[in-house]
Amino acid sequence: MSRPLSGVRVLDFGLLTAGANTSAMLADLGADVIKIESGAYLDPFRVVGKPDNDDGWWNRSPQFRFTNRNKRGLALNLKDPEGQRVIRELVTHCDVVVENFRRGVLDRAGLGYAALKEINPRIVFAAISSQGDTGPERMNVSFGSTLDATSGIASLTGYEGEEPRISGMDVNYPDQIVSLFATGIVIAAVMEARRSGTGAFLDFSQREVASFTLGEEILAASADPARRPGPRGNSEEGVAQQDAYRCKDGRWIAVTLNAADPSLGSFCAARDSKDAVAALLARGLAAAPCNDGADLLRDASLAGVSLVRDEHGGLVKGLPYRLDGQGITIERAAPDLGQHTDEVLRELLGYGDADLAKLKESGVTSKTPAIGEI
Amino acid sequence: MGPTLTEATPCADHRAMTEAAPLPLARFTIVEANDADVPLCLRLATSLAAKIAADLGADVLKIEPPGGDPVRSAPPFLPQGGSALFQFLNTSKRSLVFDLKTDAGRASLARLLDKAHACLFEEPASVAPLLRAGRATPIEIAAFPVEMDAAARPVSGLVIQALGGLMHMVGEPERKPLKLAGHQASYAAGLTAFTGLAAALAAREAGQRPPHVRVSLAEVMQWVNWKAASGAAAGGTPPGREGKGSEFQIVPCRDGHVAVVYTVTQWPATRALIGDKRLEDAKFATRAGRRKHIAELYDIITPWFADKTRAEIQKAAQSKGVPFGPIFSPAELLESEQYVTRSFLAEMKHPALGRFLMPQLPVQWNGRSFAPRPAPEMARSELAA
Repeated sequence: MSRPLSGVRVLDFGLLTAGANTSAMLADLGADVIKIESGAYLDPFRVVGKPDNDDGWWNRSPQFRFTNRNKRGLALNLKDPEGQRVIRELVTHCDVVVENFRRGVLDRAGLGYAALKEINPRIVFAAISSQGDTGPERMNVSFGSTLDATSGIASLTGYEGEEPRISGMDVNYPDQIVSLFATGIVIAAVMEARRSGTGAFLDFSQREVASFTLGEEILAASADPARRPGPRGNSEEGVAQQDAYRCKDGRWIAVTLNAADPSLGSFCAARDSKDAVAALLARGLAAAPCNDGADLLRDASLAGVSLVRDEHGGLVKGLPYRLDGQGITIERAAPDLGQHTDEVLRELLGYGDADLAKLKESGVTSKTPAIGEI
Repeated sequence: MGPTLTEATPCADHRAMTEAAPLPLARFTIVEANDADVPLCLRLATSLAAKIAADLGADVLKIEPPGGDPVRSAPPFLPQGGSALFQFLNTSKRSLVFDLKTDAGRASLARLLDKAHACLFEEPASVAPLLRAGRATPIEIAAFPVEMDAAARPVSGLVIQALGGLMHMVGEPERKPLKLAGHQASYAAGLTAFTGLAAALAAREAGQRPPHVRVSLAEVMQWVNWKAASGAAAGGTPPGREGKGSEFQIVPCRDGHVAVVYTVTQWPATRALIGDKRLEDAKFATRAGRRKHIAELYDIITPWFADKTRAEIQKAAQSKGVPFGPIFSPAELLESEQYVTRSFLAEMKHPALGRFLMPQLPVQWNGRSFAPRPAPEMARSELAA
């Protein structure tokens, strides 16, 4: 069955969440995504999430599996001129490049946008970085939680009148939302390339994406220099009463009221959370339990299409939307390191046994990690 | 009398860009149908998705109920009057007022749908069946997954952050859970709906039947918060708010606060940056050790920040490759050298509200930004019927 991106091929240098998730969303829409790693530089999710140190540990990380389903995997050493040559050959067969390396890494390997568009003028090159490809902070090192801080989100998050808060290392919110936006822009650029024959360099700043989600606050601050909001707990301007309340069973529920009710705290404290939520909903009020990860796993109706199992029974990320009522189609589990190197090089570049053996012997291709650079 | 389109004058940048090269979505017409009595958190998602398409050049026709989109009177407000929220979410659109409770209003909407490529709307809208059946590809924003069969269930952005597990991740473990600031449940869904819209338009242009796209805020929130489910599936206690037990904490400095952030591989550089001999103790050498002695660790490092400004801390940390995050307010971002250099904040001269700055779309396309046009004013006599 044709899907929106059937016939689109993506060369995926995406790592961790921001890059790898953008290419995963393209794969879910039908693109043929070829993920490039090397034995010397694994996607760090293979390492961060490894469950043990037994042989093959690099292929078992749940975090990696979550984010790389529906892709094919190649392992090519980008520091080796032969590896770079193979990439340049592959680019002629691709429509999109996704990367979230630190700025300059691909340029130094001769694989930046300027070089690749000479080979394939139709290429859409999505460069995702913490600060963007230009500006005085373009080389800054960042982690998702750094961007919580520098984007403005943290300054408005926290208990009333106390210090700011970040989403934390188990959320890294700015890393998550960039792919929801970047995927749509890449699709728009692919449409344009199909029409015009000309590709594009798409420069995404994760920090800007995070600040964009506070657009009205930035706008309001520019119009009113006296406006200086700080952390405001769970309250919200224009909402009469809104907060989290602890129930008799010790669980927290979130409630939003259109008219203030000072008795709400005692109402919740006198009931188990399930009963309190049911009673509030029956009154036409917005209420819900503050779920944890175990709750999310248990409630299949609530999960909708956001979680699925791959062919090995492993839990993976599903879709954030459904198309024609359907969720994700898992066509292949996340690739083992270098699992599809030979397959792809034969299929797209016509390499034979001798070519593949030469690349393997010289260490350009591999299926096992080398030490360092992780 | 037919409806009146209201549209503000394009700003100079937008006009120049349009003249230089068509905007990427300029060939598409998209209807944003804002029915009355729809939860605000859904409306914000729809409006954000349509705003992105409009800033990229699509002709977005925003259908407002008589009296206008309630977001027009939603905070934060501008000192000169009007809603900053509405101004942000409705750039580059045109506006029409239809009373969708009347046959005439619905007929006008149906005629527009015949000419549009896609239509964005909210599941509880009274006209949802009409919009699903129209020729324009439906992009539907809902609160909950289909499986919950809960189109009428009361909802808010806070409730979505609670259901999706995000609140469980923010705050102190013994205190109440916290939401992330802003309209994150709505905006994450709005970004998703834009991508769904782009996928549908791509399918249409490829000669396929474009898919009906459905986005629920609850599913998007769980998708964003995927490490909660992943962590729970891996066994043990699901991840949750660690507060003062976290490796990443907020510490005060001379002119504000800084988020202390470092990965395992950045610990040696972090230790060198702080330069306190006590950090060389073997108990801090591993991540497990640092987590076990986290309070003692922060007792040692917190004083280093006290007499330094955020700028001094960021400069020193970056020089050693340490990703500490100075905390900036929205007002301070207006003067961010990085944002100013990249022209991320567009200056807008609104015909009624004057001059202000707002974030542009967070992408540069061949070095080009997408300067938004002001949101449409409420016309006086746009009733379709």
